Amino acid sequence: MKLELKKISKNFHGVNALQDVNFQLKPNSIHALLGENGAGKSTLVKILCGVYQPDGGSIFLNGNQVSIADPAKSLALGISAIHQESVMFDELTVTENIFIGNHITKSNGLIDWKAMRVKTQKILDDLEANISPDEKIKDLSIAQRHIVQISRSLIHDADIVIMDEPTASLSQKEINELYEIIRNLKKQNKSIIFISHKLDEVMEVCDEYTVLRDGTLINADLISNTNKDQLITHMAGREINQIFPKNIVTIEDEIFSVKNLYKKTQFKNINFNLRKKEILGFYGLVGSGRSEVMKSIFGITKFDQGEIIFKNNSLKIKEPSDAIKNGIVYLSEERQNLGMTGLMSVKDNINMAIMEKNSDLFVINNQKETKNAAEMQEKLNIKVSYWSQLTQSLSGGNQQKTVIAKWLSTKPEVLILDEPTKGIDVRSKSAVHEFMGELVENGMSIIMVSSELTEILGMCDRVVVMYKGLIKEILDVKNTSSEQIVKIASGD
Amino acid sequence: MMSNLIPDKPPFKLFDILYKKEFILLIVLFVILLINSNISPYFLDLYNLIDSTFLFSEKAIIALSMTFIIIARQIDLSVASIMALSSCVLGYTTSLGYDTSTIIFLTLITGVLCGLFNGLIITKFAIPSIIVTIGTMSLFRGLAYSFLEDSYYNKFPEIVISMGSDYLFGYIPYAFLTFIILSIVFAFILHKTFIGKKIYSIGNNPDAAKYTGIAVDKYTIVLFAVNGLFSALASIFLSGRLSSVRPNIAFGWELEIITMVVLGGVYIYGGSGTILGVFISIFILGMLSFGLGLLNVPGVGIIIFTGLLLILSIGFPSFVKNFRRKNE
Amino acid sequence: MKKLLTNRDVILFLIILIGVIAVGIANPFFVKPSSLSDVLTDTSILIILALSQMIVILIRAIDLSVASNLALSGMLISLLSTLHPELPVIYFIILSCIIGTFLGLLNGVSIAILKVPFIVTTLGTLSIYRGLIYFVSDGKQVYSHEFSDDFLSLIHHKFLSLSFLFWMAVIVFIIIYVLLNHTKFGRNLYTLGGNPEAAKYIGINENKYIILAYSISGFFAGLCGYLWVARYSVASTQIAIGFELTVISACVVGGISVMGGVGTVVGCVLGAMLIGLIRNALPAVDISQFWQLAISGAIILIAIIINTKTEQRKEKTIMVE
Repeated sequence: MKLELKKISKNFHGVNALQDVNFQLKPNSIHALLGENGAGKSTLVKILCGVYQPDGGSIFLNGNQVSIADPAKSLALGISAIHQESVMFDELTVTENIFIGNHITKSNGLIDWKAMRVKTQKILDDLEANISPDEKIKDLSIAQRHIVQISRSLIHDADIVIMDEPTASLSQKEINELYEIIRNLKKQNKSIIFISHKLDEVMEVCDEYTVLRDGTLINADLISNTNKDQLITHMAGREINQIFPKNIVTIEDEIFSVKNLYKKTQFKNINFNLRKKEILGFYGLVGSGRSEVMKSIFGITKFDQGEIIFKNNSLKIKEPSDAIKNGIVYLSEERQNLGMTGLMSVKDNINMAIMEKNSDLFVINNQKETKNAAEMQEKLNIKVSYWSQLTQSLSGGNQQKTVIAKWLSTKPEVLILDEPTKGIDVRSKSAVHEFMGELVENGMSIIMVSSELTEILGMCDRVVVMYKGLIKEILDVKNTSSEQIVKIASGD
Repeated sequence: MMSNLIPDKPPFKLFDILYKKEFILLIVLFVILLINSNISPYFLDLYNLIDSTFLFSEKAIIALSMTFIIIARQIDLSVASIMALSSCVLGYTTSLGYDTSTIIFLTLITGVLCGLFNGLIITKFAIPSIIVTIGTMSLFRGLAYSFLEDSYYNKFPEIVISMGSDYLFGYIPYAFLTFIILSIVFAFILHKTFIGKKIYSIGNNPDAAKYTGIAVDKYTIVLFAVNGLFSALASIFLSGRLSSVRPNIAFGWELEIITMVVLGGVYIYGGSGTILGVFISIFILGMLSFGLGLLNVPGVGIIIFTGLLLILSIGFPSFVKNFRRKNE
Repeated sequence: MKKLLTNRDVILFLIILIGVIAVGIANPFFVKPSSLSDVLTDTSILIILALSQMIVILIRAIDLSVASNLALSGMLISLLSTLHPELPVIYFIILSCIIGTFLGLLNGVSIAILKVPFIVTTLGTLSIYRGLIYFVSDGKQVYSHEFSDDFLSLIHHKFLSLSFLFWMAVIVFIIIYVLLNHTKFGRNLYTLGGNPEAAKYIGINENKYIILAYSISGFFAGLCGYLWVARYSVASTQIAIGFELTVISACVVGGISVMGGVGTVVGCVLGAMLIGLIRNALPAVDISQFWQLAISGAIILIAIIINTKTEQRKEKTIMVE
């Protein structure tokens, strides 16, 4: 056994993040670590990376008991991690990022740039990556950054590579390339701990799996002995349809349309319309321009030419408040950074977009604020003890509900959702989808930017497929297939 | 209708007040008052106390608008320089013989324009305010020097002299009275209106505020313009009090004003703080200066004391917090 | 190997060149070798301080207390030298550096251990150190005749017809260049400033680097304390007042980003040189001294704005037209 964790426990402020978890990683194995958000996966990874210390249990590496006191020790033991939010330094070169914290020095103590560059070139060549050692990270694509992170693991002679959602923002071609690299690593006798929510991917790439739920070990076995549905059951504790069946809704007339939207270097000829009670999907590879279009519509950025028409009126949107005034709101992909204000209270957050409405002259009317917050809390079932509670103290799911509550308070008619279920576990995904269905039943229209085909096919009425800043096609979801959508999105 | 039973705040515990910054500041103030009154018989003299307010009233006025700036996650190092330039305009327009209302208007407008300049450069070019105001600090005072060169203005309208050195009803200095009134106004805006709420939002998370539809740039520009306006107003009081304006007027005042704000519990990185805290800290610093002055401690000693007080007021509580955490 | 000079450095250099030529046209005396050498000498202290400030700005902080540190260190050794004129000057230079380092260390401890934000700490120490000068000197100056010849003469030595001060700046440049580009410590400064969260994962101890960075800044402030006092042959409570702003402007003009993790040593020197050029050019073209402050301020603002425009990340191209 290459790595074995015995009865690992970790407790945070009285909450059991991990309880008596056993984990066994074989050599030459790609091992999936599965579980919903909050199941304990990231705590486990942080313990392996030396960020946290376990409260109980022991860790064995190649048969020897070890203590992973800090990140440096973790690296020294041959454990390396590739995170979703990459631990990268934009302004430094590829060479430097690979050798970060681990520079090669000459006998006089000064850095040996030449040796580092040579080694970097070699590794990049081995991985067949088309990257120069002197490029700055900020100029690389996401896939290229992953390769640099993997190179870093190789430099450290890592034995165990932990990959957390490695394909999250990659195109299909890049994903396949990554699978190749992973398989090569396996051939080099390394073991990989693979964390992913995409069960298709897990079934395809991995050899074994371990499922955690609520901090405890549920099951661990070979992939060949299981299937997707079983995995979902293990993870959620009950059977769930991955996609909530959409209620039938009678779609009404066109309510919103965009004509000839153009922004230099970003997008061109953007023409589409949205009908009342419709859910319109926007599919495309990461970097295809979908979010840029939405941000322009919402007024965060300006577009150079084009027209936005809402209820037969041409709208002048120069900043977000113009859009909000007209009933168009945008839920950004980055919930934590752009959606909520963590250090302000839940009541403040829920009411943040309607402060003027809640005021008499300039003075804030506390009763109006409380009334609205209470309505939203009940509608969305937000778990909160006091209104003055800071938003950052809520659980992830409740934080998201608070952000949604903020927008619903503005009584919008068009809701633009940018990757609303990204990085969310199966159970919460269902809840969001169910809620979206309710919203359109009650008269709202939704534009949903998504990178998950199953979500598009399951929730949307039509889908706009974008590629490199252009709309390639607008399809009726009933009359298309995932293969067709993927093909169009890849530029074919 | 809605019988929602979620309370606003956790149950009220008297004990919690003890931890509030404003309460601690009040205690510090009382201690200083106590010490001062024991040191010198002159301290508790009403007239002396009233007169002591002259020394800090002008700075105090600017501290109020500076509070908004800092809560909004900005900083303005150019306030003293704006004071200098505005005073020069005051003196210059007086020497040109304009009528009083024009003089005052032009002086105030100078402050507003300087503030607008700051705000526009910060927002249009997205440059951190600390850097921009380091630059305008030189620019504005430099303009004052180029105006006045080596000399000084000492002729001002009657009303200005009166504003700076006279008392309402013979008791309350106008400058101090203005400060008190403005404190109430600023406190009201910050804590009761949506304008104040928006300032807190901007200071806590400017990006999220933008996405929520708050006009972050507009608010920033206005805050700097207001800061400039009140700097100009303060310079009118100061010019009236001193009856003489040189280009080096108010030199170093930006540090004292920022000290007033930060000592008052306003977090330097924005998002939290109250006018009450700043109000009390202004008196702490004022009474401290006054007391040390009575002890014949030179102005320098007061500066050193203030610097130490500033650092320790933040360092001590945080040290205690860390100490406690390590022992848990 | 990284490019030796970035585009921005080249532009700065050209601007300086054009500036010198322009001033030379208005006042040919300015471009005489001896005049230019004087400008370099005059700028040397600024260069040294800008280079050491760079270390602090790289880790997303600022040291506003350098001028007060410089003045206090300078005053202390001046007073001591009047009491012990027989001691060789080297003792005083070393002592000044030690005092400066200690004052810088206090900043570092306040920020790293007491967690007082750097703005507040260095604003505080700026006042405290400046105030202490009054205390130790009783408000009085130390005049040139009170210094020993040994104390003052070192400054006026010339090597290869360039002044001692200039060579000091060159030595400091080399030291800091090697430090920032060829040592782990230096590279870790860039790492820490570029992404503090990630740097912690690598095992870089933020507190250690804060304390070291401010100590280094203090060290060079102490050194410049001697240099300043020796050069102007006077120690007073007023020396270098406001100079910290000049130093920071030099860094910002030179491309050191206050967001941390970005900036080249060459750029820093060029930034200091540009500021030094402005300070010396204005009197050379007969601009009254009273306009200097305003013009410097304006030029610095313009330089910062231009900097920011060129630095701003262009949006990634999604669509090819």
